[in-house]
Amino acid sequence: MIDRRRFMTATAATLAAPALLRSPALAQTQNGFRVKYFPVPEAARSRDVTACSDNVTMWFCSQGNGKLGRLDPRDGSYKMINLGEGSAPHGVIVGPDKAAWVTDGGQNAIVRVDNDHKVTVFKLPIKEYANLNTGAFDKTGIYWFTGQSGYHGRLDPKSGDPQVWKSPGGAGSYGMTVTPQGDIWFASLAGNHIAKIDLKTGDATMVKPPTASQGARRVWSDSKGQLWVSEWNSGNVSMHDPAANTWKTWKLPGEKPRTYSVYVDDRDKVWLTDFSANAIVRFDPATEQFTSFASDKPNANVRQMDGKPGQAWGGESGTNRLVMIETLSPPA
Amino acid sequence: MIVRSTAALALLAVLTTGAAAQDGAALFAPCRACHALDPAAPATAGPNLSGLLGRKVAGDARFDYSPVLRQAREAGRTWTADALEKFIADPEAMFPGTWMSRIPLANVADRQALVRFITDPASR
Repeated sequence: MIDRRRFMTATAATLAAPALLRSPALAQTQNGFRVKYFPVPEAARSRDVTACSDNVTMWFCSQGNGKLGRLDPRDGSYKMINLGEGSAPHGVIVGPDKAAWVTDGGQNAIVRVDNDHKVTVFKLPIKEYANLNTGAFDKTGIYWFTGQSGYHGRLDPKSGDPQVWKSPGGAGSYGMTVTPQGDIWFASLAGNHIAKIDLKTGDATMVKPPTASQGARRVWSDSKGQLWVSEWNSGNVSMHDPAANTWKTWKLPGEKPRTYSVYVDDRDKVWLTDFSANAIVRFDPATEQFTSFASDKPNANVRQMDGKPGQAWGGESGTNRLVMIETLSPPA
Repeated sequence: MIVRSTAALALLAVLTTGAAAQDGAALFAPCRACHALDPAAPATAGPNLSGLLGRKVAGDARFDYSPVLRQAREAGRTWTADALEKFIADPEAMFPGTWMSRIPLANVADRQALVRFITDPASR
């Protein structure tokens, strides 16, 4: 452990969400799926998304202007919430307390935003720039997070006391996931591995995918605890079964795919984003078939996906839109 | 917003003032997650930055760049110190659609120090 015990509170109900904004959503249907785009022009570099605790509205990070957005997909309206001076939010998830928990690289802090949009800032207890990335809650309600400069850490929401460790293998700690068994894993983009955290000690144990220098960027657990990994350098998606200690690997379709993100939906279908193809790509593990959904705009650059039953969501960081792909009919 | 932490304020100073402007190595530390400066380094998540000054945009032959950077290369654009400082300040503002994310370096002196560290081996 590097340091700890710096309870940084910064609470504030500062920020008044500006007036409700509204932009029309655009929808397209493709072979049993409906693709819908939600413009959020007041955002800048819209990126990570997650469903709010009401299971209707969506949180989204606006990394370029230090705000957290909240979209109502029923009418396309949204609000923007200021997170603080210097904020650059990267990832957002919802905690057991129903609040949004944000990895804020700009403030070097974890930021909590409740459903009344009250903001609380928990500064990291280190002076180094962690480049905070992604978070996940374990089964006991502890929030875990990564920092791409080579850190992982945890925060107990009850005490507000963050702890930080240097990740094994140095810089690169990126996506993070929790399994149904309660284990916390993260991916290291620069380290070319995934790692499992010992929830008591904070130590992390590396596991190498079979492809060398693959660039494991994000990781997501399916309902069985199998770990799906998006490999940026290789253009693969891989799957690690920790119980059997096995790996499987598939190359995404197209020329020189660049697999940025991975999300596994409620039906254990795997959603990937491919920067080379400018597309969201669905992979069905049962049939091993890929289905590609190219964006209707260039340079969409979806850097993360999440969702709710029947809907896969992403933020197009290059277009300032959110995208939702709804499964209209069950896959074969 | 109330912030109660001297450590936090110190960090803020690092990120937003020129206090750390001389420490190019520290400023480059987050960049190492994607970039290498040693021309012999293995491929990483982003292009190799050795010999960047005067190099064509999208000039690392081992890296497949975003379409917008490939277009800039085709247009004959090259990296200057000023262009690099501008790119670091907001990559997507300079090249909309670039794959690179912004590192929050609000202070121009820090960005210039980072550019020096990247482009001048003697400064390392």
